[in-house]
This record gives sequence, C-alpha cells and structure tokens, in this order.
Amino acid sequence: MRLLPPAAWCLAGVLGAQTQDFGKAYSFAEREPRTRVEQVVDKLLPSIVKIHGASGLATISAYASGIIVSKQGHILALDQIMIQKDRTRVVLYDGSVHQATLLPEDLRLGVRLLKIDPALVQGELQPLWPPAAAEAQFRTGQFVVSLGNCFRLAEFSEKVSATFGVVVGRANTALRYRMADVKYDGDLILTDACNNPGHFGGGLFTLDGRWIGFNLRLLDSKETNTMLSAAIPTRDLLPYLEEHVLGKARSEAVAKNEPVFTGIVLFDKAGLQSPPAYVERVMPDSPAQALGLRPDDLIVHIDDYSIRTCLEFREILKKFAPGRTIKLTWKRGTQVSYGDLTLAKEPR
Amino acid sequence: MIFVCAVALCGMQDPDLAAVVASESRRAGVIERCSLAVCSVMAMDAPGGGSGVVFDPAGFVLTNYHVVGEADDDYQLPQPPEPTEADLAAFRRKNPDAAPDAEQRLLARWKEEWRAEHLPRGKSHYRNKKVGLPDGQLYEAEVLGIDPGSDLAVLRLLPKKDGQQWPCCRLGDSDQLLVGETVFAMGNPFLLATDFTPTVTFGIVSGTHRYQEGAGQRMLVYPDCIQVDAPVNPGNSGGPLFNEKGEVVGINGRISIGDRGRVNVGVGFAIASNQIKNFLGDLMAGRHTEHGTLDMSAWFMNSGNGPARRRGVFVQQMFKDSVIAAAGVGLGDEITRFNDIEVRSANQLATLIGVLPSGTWTTVWYRPKQEESFGDERRISVKLATLDTGSSRDGVGDDARLASRSNRRLAAKAVERAWLDVDEMSAAVHWSRTGPDGSVVRAIRDGERLRLEIGELVLVREAAGKGHAIERGTARELTAAEAERLRREWTCNTMLWQRATSLPGLEGAELVGGVHVFGAPAFRFLLPGDGECEAWLFADGSPAGFTFRDPLRRAKVEWHVREQNLRVVVDGKLEPAWSSGNRSTGQADEAWFRRT
Repeated sequence: MRLLPPAAWCLAGVLGAQTQDFGKAYSFAEREPRTRVEQVVDKLLPSIVKIHGASGLATISAYASGIIVSKQGHILALDQIMIQKDRTRVVLYDGSVHQATLLPEDLRLGVRLLKIDPALVQGELQPLWPPAAAEAQFRTGQFVVSLGNCFRLAEFSEKVSATFGVVVGRANTALRYRMADVKYDGDLILTDACNNPGHFGGGLFTLDGRWIGFNLRLLDSKETNTMLSAAIPTRDLLPYLEEHVLGKARSEAVAKNEPVFTGIVLFDKAGLQSPPAYVERVMPDSPAQALGLRPDDLIVHIDDYSIRTCLEFREILKKFAPGRTIKLTWKRGTQVSYGDLTLAKEPR
Repeated sequence: MIFVCAVALCGMQDPDLAAVVASESRRAGVIERCSLAVCSVMAMDAPGGGSGVVFDPAGFVLTNYHVVGEADDDYQLPQPPEPTEADLAAFRRKNPDAAPDAEQRLLARWKEEWRAEHLPRGKSHYRNKKVGLPDGQLYEAEVLGIDPGSDLAVLRLLPKKDGQQWPCCRLGDSDQLLVGETVFAMGNPFLLATDFTPTVTFGIVSGTHRYQEGAGQRMLVYPDCIQVDAPVNPGNSGGPLFNEKGEVVGINGRISIGDRGRVNVGVGFAIASNQIKNFLGDLMAGRHTEHGTLDMSAWFMNSGNGPARRRGVFVQQMFKDSVIAAAGVGLGDEITRFNDIEVRSANQLATLIGVLPSGTWTTVWYRPKQEESFGDERRISVKLATLDTGSSRDGVGDDARLASRSNRRLAAKAVERAWLDVDEMSAAVHWSRTGPDGSVVRAIRDGERLRLEIGELVLVREAAGKGHAIERGTARELTAAEAERLRREWTCNTMLWQRATSLPGLEGAELVGGVHVFGAPAFRFLLPGDGECEAWLFADGSPAGFTFRDPLRRAKVEWHVREQNLRVVVDGKLEPAWSSGNRSTGQADEAWFRRT
C-alpha cells in the first residue's frame, strides 16, 4: 500500500468525520416465529421457488411458483405455455437465479418437473416430498396455508405470499364436466385460501406442515361466473414424482382402452366450438340402432356425465372399454328417454 | 352468566375446546375494544367514502389521502368575526404593545391573531369531512396533514361538547409482524353499515415490506406495505389493520385485483405503521409531507452462479444533479448498504428510501464500478432530496401549509399523551362511572392489577388472571359473573387505556412538524417566544435535539442528539467537526459560535 501524503490524511479525516452512520430507521430483521402458522410458513418458505418463463402475449403471465422436490434440483411446476426450453428460470429462496432444464411432463396431471444444477446452489436445497398416503389425508374444514408468488409480488430473495383458509371440499369428475373450462381429470382439493395468478405451482399445507396439495390454476366457470381455488392432492403426484425423481417405473400401467363403437354419427361440422351432440345418422346393425336412436336425437348424458358437446361425448367414451354397458340419455323433441347401450368393438 | 358457566363446564371436559373458547373470547374482546375507534370518512360533495381510525382521544384520525381527495379549490376560509369589547380588552392585556392608539390597527391585529389561532395556513384547503363513529354519531372533521407520497391523511374530529374524548387505538410496531401472523382489517366496505359499525375481516400477514409502485389515477406509491389475505374491499380504504393485541399496524389502502374488476381477491395492502410514524409529526402539525429520494433507480442483477457469481443491486439510472451523483456515485455502481441495512433487492432499497421524509440524513455504502470488477466499499452521507409526487399545487409542496395554532397545540398534547402510553403499565389509571340508578363504579388500574369498586364490593384482578373479591373486609373467591366482568373491563374497556395528563415544561408549545434524527422519527415543538426556538423529542419523550437562531453566527443552528450521537447542522449544512458518533468530541467555546 502506498502511503498518502499528510494533506491527504487530513482530508480523509475530515471526510471520515462527515460520513457517519445515521442509524436504522427500519429493521428488516425478523423476530422468531411464535404461532403455529408462523412456524409452518417459516419452515416451508425455503422450499418454494419463483419461476419465470417465456412470454409474449399480454394474457399470458410469465411467472409462476414451484416446489423443490429433491436435493438433486428437481422442481415441480404446473406445465404451462410459459415453461419453454432455455427460457425457464428458477429463483431460489436466497435470491439466486438458475436456468432450468425441462423433464417430460405428465399430460394427465398437467404438471412438469424442472431441473436445476445443484452444484451451483449455495448451501443445500430443502426439498419437500408428498407424505405417505395415510398421512396425505385432508378433511373438509381443515385449516390450510397456501404458499406461492401471486402477482409476482416477491422478487429475488423476497418472500413469496402466504394465504390462510380451510379445505372447502373435494371436487369429483362429474362436477368437472359441468365446468367446461377445467382441463383436469381427477380429484381436486377446493379451498378458500386465495389462489391468484402466479400463486399456482405453489403448495397447500396443513398447520403441522404436511404438503397436501399442489396449487392449480383458478377454476373459472364461465357458466356461473365464479372462481374457485383448487389444488391437486399430493398423493396423485406420487407416481409421476417417483418415476422421474427416484427413477422407479410406474407400478400401475395406464390401461389404454380399445376404441369403442356405438354406431352414432354426430353432427360435428359447425364452427370452431364443438356443437351440441345431435345425432346425424345411426349406423345399421349397431348398438345405437338396437336402442332405437334416430337422427336429430340430442345426447344429454352418458351415465352421470352430462354431455354438452360432441367433444365431451367422445372424451367420455374414451373412459370405457368395449363390452361395457352405459346408460345413455337422449332428448327427442320435448321427450327425454334413456336406455342401456352395450359398447361394441370398433369394426375392422 | 349461564353462558359463562356453560363455557366453564365445557372447558373442564375438553381442554382443547377451552383453549379455543378462551382465544375466541380474547379476540372478541380485542375487536370490541378496537371497533370503537374505527370510523367512516365521507366527503360531503362526492359519493362513496372510506374508513379511518382514531389514534388519539382528542379525535385525531388516520385515513388515506385518496379518501380525502383533492383540495377543494372553491373553498374559502371563513372570515374572522367581529370582536366584542371584552375580547379586545383581553387582547390588549395580553399584548400591551399592540398599537394602543389606533383602534383600527388594533382591530386588524386582533383579526390576524384570530386567523392564526383558528385557521390553517397554506394555499389549498379542504372542506370539512363527515366522519361517522360506531357510537352512531356523525361528526365533522377538519383535514389537517396530507401525505400524497404514501397515501395518508390526518383529520381531527370536531367535538360536539367541550373536552369530548373518543375511544382510540394506538399505533403498533409493524416491524414485529411476521408472515403468518393473525391480523384484522376493519372499516366500512361498500358503505355497508349505515350506523357506522365497522366490518371486521380476519386473515394472516401474507408478506411484509412489499414495495408497490405508483398505481391508479394519482399514481400513489406505497413504499412499505403489509400484504394481507384478510378481505379488503372498496370502502375499506383508510381503515386500520390490527394485530392480535389490538394495535394499529397498518392503514389498508390498496388491493391487487384479478381480471374481475375492483373486488377483493385476497391480496390487500396496508401502509406499515412504522412508515406512518416517520411522517406523523408533519401530518399532525397539518403539513403537506414530502418524501425523500436519491433521484436514482436501481436494479437487481444476478450473473452466473457458483464461485464466479455476481449478485447485487446496481445503479441503473440517475439524475445528473441528484444528491447521490454529487456524492460521487456513478451509473453501474453497486449499492451495498443503506442506513446500516444490507440491501438485498431493488425493491428493498426503494422501500428503505421511500419511507423516509425529505431532508433526512442517510448513510449509503457502495462499491464503485471499475473496469472489470468493483472497488472497495465506500461510505457516504447524503441528505435525501424531495420526491416530486406531482400533487403539490405550487410546485414547492404546498410548503406553507400548517394547521391552525389551536390544532397544533392539541397535536402537541396528543404527542405528550403518547409518551405516557410508553410506560402505561407502570402508571396508575383511574376511572369512575355513575350508573343510571346512581351507583358509582370506580376502576383503578395500577400496572398489572385492576381494582373495581362497586359500592362496598371490591373486585381485584392480578396479572395472569388471578382474581378475588373483597366484601365487607373479607376476601373470597370470585363468582363466574364477577370474573367475566373483570375480564371484560381488563381487555375491553377503552377508558382504562386513556390518560390525559400533561407533562410540565412544554406548556403552550405547538407541534410544528416532524424530523428524522439518527434513524428515528421525532416531533418538533415550537416553544413560546419569538418563533425561532424548537425543542425536538422522540416518540417516547426523550430529547432528540433543538434548533435556534444563533445571534452570534446569524445562522439557524440545529442540534440532533441520540444516545452517543451528535450532529450539528448550520443553515442546513452539516458541521463535520462537530458532528460525530461520540458526543464528547465537540468543544463549546465561543470561537466556534463566532465562526462565519
């Protein structure tokens, strides 16, 4: 180090006197968590990440949340348009930003695993793992805390938002099919802990810290003009997580149903939206003919599922294998009739 | 009584239920006490309205600036009345030098005095607002201070009878809030309650220290807010956010909305009480407050991870003539600390600066950008410049705005009362009430002990809930009804939380504003005299400094004092030789005072 001339020392002294600490007006220091909710939030926050991705359209938000599920850097997120190769970044609790690679998605759940390089992470990742089936139980009325980065309020090392509520109920598929906008096939946890844009991909936790749900997009019913916060039960995520994080093959092979044959040809030629399921013609010697269906009949129900469009008719039939008998409800003029129809194999 | 017994029985059978019932009852008590101080604020000439909270028994109300709205341009202050002979005689006695010869000049002086006493100063004025309280009464309220920089305003209720006092709630410490903590929002959403009983909503703190940039028509910035999931809706604006103890920790003012318009989606924002405290002196003194700025913007950058990573908050844009440029900071330099707090994000830096008033002395640590790296950390002292919020009419922040003298004296008394609240638990509180049948109930609260005297019966409650009754000189156990009554008085009685005694020494002093001294907000009291001498005191009543016009130097000298820190400012400039971290370095010799 070079010695400064005495004059410079004097100057430094004056500057030293001028620069002083003007104290803390604010303390960003935090007290210790005391209540149960405070403790749960404090414990879980390091496992929630902020995800930023591709955007381009005003209607597509380029931010979401995710959950760390392994120390090797696996992060669970909802599969959505913003998640694209080379354009997805993960922001950890400490504020560090990591480029994520994409693992195969699960089409049925609509979720996807991301992976970051654990070698670049300072300290150790704090993963969460869905509790075993017995512990993953949730009950209506149970208190829950929902964590996620709604409206991108938190940036970098800032803490994501926490909301509080109860489990409102469970949604089944019949409910889903009346809500045309829900593209999810399975059980859902409904909650009044607020879920907003950006909050999805975060988690739903009980007050003893169990991870019971994975926040889904808001369920938005155009029919009733209502919105609902929902989450995928974590136990439904297990097969996907085990396959891609632990490398376990899925135990239950997804049964692929053979196409079924009813003999109903629908009038499906109008516009972009799928039209109501009107019968255009009935094929000869088919189960539908045996049941007495005629052109211009309107299919309204298959079993308990309400059918509003041709698309729904086809989607529901995919659930069944040939040989299965379904209850078909149709409307002719003002008359509603129903009858049993046994699904046949697709003729060669 | 029956209900209390039933609860007691349940409690014996199921300890969990008893805990729930106890917590419920405590919460209900707190809500009952707090809701008395929550009010609806309405303008006379506009539809809709907001909420507010009384924070001092003399009727000082906190609400949002956007509830109070713009100043009424066409509003003319009232003219002074004609004085009576007695008034003039009293004025003459008080001012013996006041032009005894010319009657006309005497009259003019009297009217001038009357204006200073009863009318606010400044260029823009507000019509009185209407404020409804849960007692079902509609009061008029004067608009005192406004803070467009963070959407706050202070009103004062006009009493309907002399010496009227209102139930009130104290401001709490918002830095103690933690994510997950239970909070209540109160107010009058959608103007639901026509009898002004507040709506109570419950939730948790979803986030703390959120910075929310300007939004809405007036681009109101919320530099430090508390995010809550308690429903906050239109009309809740200006209403209080309470913690479980019943302290006001924020003023609800803003919500994030989804795509369905202006309704609650579980993301509400309250202005943090600690930020409010930084401006309370100015607000209560009736000023148009000014926020500080460094005239720069910063951004957070993260480049790479692992050992070579570079992460921090960097100067992105700045004005050429900004205070920070004058202090030597350049574009691309890294801001590391602000007022002894490590800067972790650009939002946090905006919060730290945004909560301080203009003119506050701050310390900034930074690392200058060099060719490929950053130099050593440097420390500079800068005085915050004034942020232009675009809300002032005359471009200088409506500088002359100040409440009337009578209001400033009331404000001084209110600040004094707050000092007493600091050691409230150790001081005795007396209260008595005469019932409709003529029976007198006296309550004495002495620290952690409450003594309730009902005729010959005396009920005593100690801390930790122990209690006993004294009847005709002998002590016995409390009945359930007596225990419940004591509990309610203990938790819900606002009268036991108020005191109105004054400290000696500041008789006749007026509150004229706020000032920031070594990281803590202080109040400026103008002492009676020639109007040049102010005493500064912190919120707990401890001295923060003083200012006077030094006749030898012909300069305005300020002394800022806190613990071992001393700072001397002469005509707005820091005196380096006199300001130091150790008070003992200054030498008070005459030569220093004579320096020019």
